[in-house]
Amino acid sequence: MKLDSEQIKKIFAALLVLAFILYAYFAFLLGPLQKSQQDATAGIASLEPQIADAKKQIARTAGLEKEAPQATAFLTDIKNSIPDGAPIAWFPPKMTEFFRSQGIEKCTTHLVSDGADSMPGFRRMVWSIDLPKVEFIPLGVAISHLENNEPLLNILNVTIDATREDAQYQHATLVLATLVKS
Amino acid sequence: MPLHVNLYHEVQRQDRARRRDPLRLGMLAILVIAVGFIAYYFVELEQCHAVATVFGGLQDDWSRIDPKCKAAKARQDELDDQIKASDQLKKNVESRFYLAPVLGEILRTVPQNVQLLHVAVDAPADGDATTSLLTVSGISSAAEPRREAETVRTALEAKLGTEFKKVTSVFKALDDSDQLVTFNGHPLPTATFTIEFEIQVRDPIVAAPTPVRRQRIAAE
Repeated sequence: MKLDSEQIKKIFAALLVLAFILYAYFAFLLGPLQKSQQDATAGIASLEPQIADAKKQIARTAGLEKEAPQATAFLTDIKNSIPDGAPIAWFPPKMTEFFRSQGIEKCTTHLVSDGADSMPGFRRMVWSIDLPKVEFIPLGVAISHLENNEPLLNILNVTIDATREDAQYQHATLVLATLVKS
Repeated sequence: MPLHVNLYHEVQRQDRARRRDPLRLGMLAILVIAVGFIAYYFVELEQCHAVATVFGGLQDDWSRIDPKCKAAKARQDELDDQIKASDQLKKNVESRFYLAPVLGEILRTVPQNVQLLHVAVDAPADGDATTSLLTVSGISSAAEPRREAETVRTALEAKLGTEFKKVTSVFKALDDSDQLVTFNGHPLPTATFTIEFEIQVRDPIVAAPTPVRRQRIAAE
């Protein structure tokens, strides 16, 4: 079959139209569609593990929330046992009352130092307690009770000196550190 | 055989030529391809819509879960800190050095013919320190007061040794005194003494060995 020049022109025009349609189809229709599909697929692939991790995190925290009251009971009890207010106001009277209950009447408490502690939420205060007239055995018993009943209290130094006036009594000085709420 | 003359052959030729027109055939082919492409486009559109719906649902889930997750993470950090603080506090309380047992041992060990004039006990300075220092000064009265002071030292060291990990003691001073004391009706010579006890209350914390980097030896 022999094509005349008119037909060749028409075929050429048809091919041009076809090329344009193909270009438009891929560039403006199918291309953006596939791009958005790929983006959505990639988004799903990245979101699914994130959502799974988030759900695990929420579950982990919920589990921890259940265990926390038991795990932090000691801390809570300790914090609740510390009186509110300035320690300088309540600690010396507390010590005076304690030693009086142990049969040691004279007791003077002084603040030696006050600073931050490594434990968050606490301050470390160092006190000096002067007991000018005390017998050795009641002093030992009192120290024992103090150490057993006050978990936040740490006796750093005990000095006991015999008194010249009365050999029965000694002069004792205690240096102790305690944690208070900051 | 009769002679058959086709008077329409020109019309038929033109009709055949029109049917075989390449442009027409090409347009038909393009139309078929275009229909195929459009059908494929709609298939892709449907798939894309399905994927986008899933993605939108996940985005909704994420926008709902993400704030909860962040709050949960913050709460977990807070709880972890509280639990850590509680454990640390418990450890500190349990690892305290109790001074009362030391005073108890002194009371039980020192005999009546020895008078203590000064007792000082220092707890370990901090959590890393392992030793406590006990200083005892007094007057021993016996026929041999120095030997009596030595007896007190060894007895107290032995007693404290049963309570603590390791105890070492040393006389800081031991001097004869001119004074005599009457004990059970007998005058006895005296000696003044000062003994220092070093009490190891806990095992030292062994630091992890640090890797030793080989030093390059410079060629001479």
